[in-house]
Amino acid sequence: MIIRLKPTVFLPFKAFLAASLLSISSIAQEIGNYEPEQAWDGNPDINGVWQAMGTAHWDLQDHEASAGLPEMGAIGAVPPGQGVVVGGEIPYQDWAIEQKQGPKWDSRPTGDPETKCYLPGVPRATYLPYPFQILQGTDKMMIVYGFAEANRTIHMNVENPEPAPLDTWMGRSHGHWEGNTLVVDARGFTGEAWFDRAGNFASSSLIVTERYTPISADALLYEATIEDPTVFTRPWQIRMPLYRRLEPNARVIEYKCVEFSEEILYGHLMKREESED
Amino acid sequence: MKCRSIKVSSTKLIAKLIAAIVIAFPFALNAATPNHIQIALSSTNEAVGWYEEYLDCERVVGRNDAVVCGETNIEFFVGRTVGGSQGSAIDHIGFSVPDLDAKMAELESVGVRGSGVRLIRFDDGALVRDIPGLFKIAFITDPWGTKIELVQDEAVIGFHHIHLNSVDPVAALDWYNQVLGGERASLKGMLDGVRFGDIWLLATQFNDGRPGITQGRTIDHIGFQVADLDAAAAEMNQLNVDFRQDPMVPERGRSDAKQAFILGPDGVMIAVVEPGWEGIEEEAFSADNSDSEELYIVPRTPWGEPDFQGIWTADAAHGIPLQRGVGAGEAGELTPEEAAARRERGTLNSIWGYDREWRDTTLGYVRSAPSTQAAMIIDPPNGQLPETTEAYKQLVANAPPRIPPQRARTPVDLGTYVRCITRGPVGMMMPSIYNNGLQIIQSPGNIAIQKEMIHETRIISTESREGYGDGLKTWLGDSHGRWEGDTLVVEVRNLNGRTSYLGSSADMKLTQRFTRTGPDTLRYEFTVEDPAVWTEPWSGMFNFIRDDSQYELVEYACHEGNYGMTNTLSAARTIDAREAEEADYQE
Repeated sequence: MIIRLKPTVFLPFKAFLAASLLSISSIAQEIGNYEPEQAWDGNPDINGVWQAMGTAHWDLQDHEASAGLPEMGAIGAVPPGQGVVVGGEIPYQDWAIEQKQGPKWDSRPTGDPETKCYLPGVPRATYLPYPFQILQGTDKMMIVYGFAEANRTIHMNVENPEPAPLDTWMGRSHGHWEGNTLVVDARGFTGEAWFDRAGNFASSSLIVTERYTPISADALLYEATIEDPTVFTRPWQIRMPLYRRLEPNARVIEYKCVEFSEEILYGHLMKREESED
Repeated sequence: MKCRSIKVSSTKLIAKLIAAIVIAFPFALNAATPNHIQIALSSTNEAVGWYEEYLDCERVVGRNDAVVCGETNIEFFVGRTVGGSQGSAIDHIGFSVPDLDAKMAELESVGVRGSGVRLIRFDDGALVRDIPGLFKIAFITDPWGTKIELVQDEAVIGFHHIHLNSVDPVAALDWYNQVLGGERASLKGMLDGVRFGDIWLLATQFNDGRPGITQGRTIDHIGFQVADLDAAAAEMNQLNVDFRQDPMVPERGRSDAKQAFILGPDGVMIAVVEPGWEGIEEEAFSADNSDSEELYIVPRTPWGEPDFQGIWTADAAHGIPLQRGVGAGEAGELTPEEAAARRERGTLNSIWGYDREWRDTTLGYVRSAPSTQAAMIIDPPNGQLPETTEAYKQLVANAPPRIPPQRARTPVDLGTYVRCITRGPVGMMMPSIYNNGLQIIQSPGNIAIQKEMIHETRIISTESREGYGDGLKTWLGDSHGRWEGDTLVVEVRNLNGRTSYLGSSADMKLTQRFTRTGPDTLRYEFTVEDPAVWTEPWSGMFNFIRDDSQYELVEYACHEGNYGMTNTLSAARTIDAREAEEADYQE
C-alpha cells in the first residue's frame, strides 16, 4: 500500500533532508573524496559480498546489555551497543511507542518474525549479522541475503515505477545512481516485518529510501530514510557502514532457517512420543 | 475484421491454448434464431466430451469442435482467453435439467479432480437455491471458466438461457428485440427478457463499473442465424448497428455461408450467420520452431560473458514426464495437439481442486506453447532411468512405510517441500504448476539464479575458487560454475543429502548445463551420477522459455503463509483424538 505524505508532513521532511545532506557531506569530507572503481557502465562497482558490523540487529537504538533466554546463558544475552539512528530518537506516534514498548517488546521470543524465520524485510535484511551479495546486472541489480534465502531485485530500468502489484515482505525496489550513490526506493511492504529484535516496527505505509555510497575500496556508507506517516511523526534515518568480506572465499551461504522455527510455530500441534526425527 | 482475429489469434500467438465458446442459434431478422455460442478453450475435443457428459449435449456430426444442446450449437475454438465469463457482458449460460438436486449431487460426487467441474456455492453453503415462484437454480463453471447456471424449469429442458450483464438491462433487452427479433417477455412473471423460441435472453443490472467485453473471454461471442444476411445487414445498418465485420464468407469456413459480426450493448460480440453455417476450420497450431540453434548467436553482457539475464519460465515444460512411455519410439516428439492435451492432463492433476480458468488467466499458462518433448531423460537414449543397484533395491524393500499426511506427527513427516524448505537441488529446477518463474541476473563472474517457487536463490560463481570445506554442506550445495563455450556448466558440491530425488542418495553428484539456444529458449540439462542408486549416470533436459515482457517474479513467501502446515497437523491431531475417544468408548 502506498500512502502519500500529506504536505504537513512533507514540509518538515524537506528541512530534515537538508539537515541530513549536510551531515552526509561532512562524513564525505572526513572520508576524503574517494573515487570508487567503476563498473562496466561507469557507475561505482559495488559488486561483492558485504556485511554490517555492530548490534543494530538487536536494537537500532542505544541499548545496554540485558538478559536473554536463561537456558542460553551469555550466548543468548543481548550485548550492549551504540545506536544507528541519526539523532538517536525514533519519532513514534503515541500509539506506536505503546505498541513497541508493550506488545511487541513482550512478545519478542516468539513474535519476532526473525524467530519465525520469516523474510526480514528492508532495511532489516541489510544489518542482520550475515553476509549478503550485491550483483550489478545490466538493467537490474540483485541483493541476495543468506537468512531465509531473502533476496531483492532492484529495478534500475524503470523510470516511473508502477505501484507494487501486491505487498510483500521484501517490498519492491527501484534504484538509480546519484553521482557515486546508489539510491534505492523500496516500498510495497506487508507491514509485518520488524526492524530489529527490540520490536521496532513500521506499517504497510513504509517507504524506505536507501543510499549506498562507496567510502573506500572495502566499505560502503549505508543510509536509510524511513517514512511511515501511519507510525512515525516524521521521517527518520539510520546510518552505518557496510564492510566488504575480505576472505578470498567469502560467500553468501544459504541459511534455510525454517526447520529451526517449527517448534515455535507448530510445537503445539506435534505428536511427540512417537516422533523420531 | 477484428472479430475474425478472435479465432485466428490462436495461431498468430503460437499455440496460445484455451478456447472460447460460440453459442449459435437459428433466427431471421426480426425472426432471428440463436445459432451458436462460442467458447475459447485449450482442447476442443475435451470440451466436446465435457459438454456431452455433464450437460447432455450431442457432438455435431462430423465435427470435433461443436456440440448441439437442443436447438443451440456450442462451438469451441482453441484460443487465448483473458478470463472466464463471469463479469463479462455475457455472464453465464443456463441449462435446465429435470431434477436439479440429483444433477448437483452427481456433479458433487464427480468432484473437481480430472473432470474440472467447479461447483459454486451460495453464501449459506448450499449448492441449490429454490427461488419461490421461479424454480431451483445452481451454478457451476466448466473447466475453462465458463459460468453455467443450472435450473429446473419443467417448461424447457436443455439449453435454457443466456444471461447478460448490462449497465442498462432494459435498454439492452430492447436492443436485442429491435435488432434480432424475439419476443419481449417475462420469465414466470419475474425476470424480464427476450424470448427466442425456447431460449431466454436475460439481463442483470451490472453495478461494478462496466462489464468486460466478451471478445477474448471464454464465452467469446454468441451467434444468431438469419434467413438472408445481406438483407438483415441492410436493416441493421439503418438501425445504426455497429458492424465489426461486414458479411463475408470467412477464409476457412466449412461452408459457403456468410458471417458478419456486430457489437451489442455492453460489448457483447455477436455473430450473425446465414443458414448452412458450419463454423470455421481451425488451423492446427504448431510449436514455436523459430529458434534455430545453428544460426543463433548468444548475446553477451557488456563485460563479455554469455548473457542469460531475464525472466524465464518452465511453463512450457510442465507436463513433460521424466521417463518416456515404455514402448514409445525413440523419436519421441509429440504433435502439438498431443502436447496440449498432455499439459492439460498434467496441470489438472497437479493443481488439485483449482480450476483451469485460474491456471490459464492468473498463472499465464497460455503464454507459451507446451513442449512437444516426449520425456525429459535424454540419456540413456531410451528415455528410461537406468537400472537401480541391488543395494538400493534392498533399501527400498526394507524402507518403513510412508506416513500419510493425516498421520503426520511433526512437520518432518510431511517433507521439505511442504515445509517450504526446498524442493532439493534437482527438484528446485523442475517445472511447477504455479510460480514457475526463473530470474537470472549476472555480474562479472557471478550468476544469480532465482526460482520463484519457495524463492530459492543460488549464486553461481564462474571464477575458479576455493569451495566450501568438507564440514560445510547445505540443502542446495555449493555451485561451481565455468563457461564451456557459450554453455554454463555447474557442478553442485557439498550437498547435505537431506533431500532425495527419486531415491538419490546423499552422495549424488549433480552437474547442470545451461545453454541459450535462441532468443527465447534456455536449454537446461542435468546429469545425476549416483552409483549407490543407479548403475549408470542419467541426464535430463528441458527448455526454459523467456517471458521478460510481461512477467516479474512474485515473492513466494511460502513459509510465512504456510497455513497448510497448521491445518494438516491440526487435522492429524483431531484424527488422533477421535480415535483415542473411540478406543476409550470400546473399552
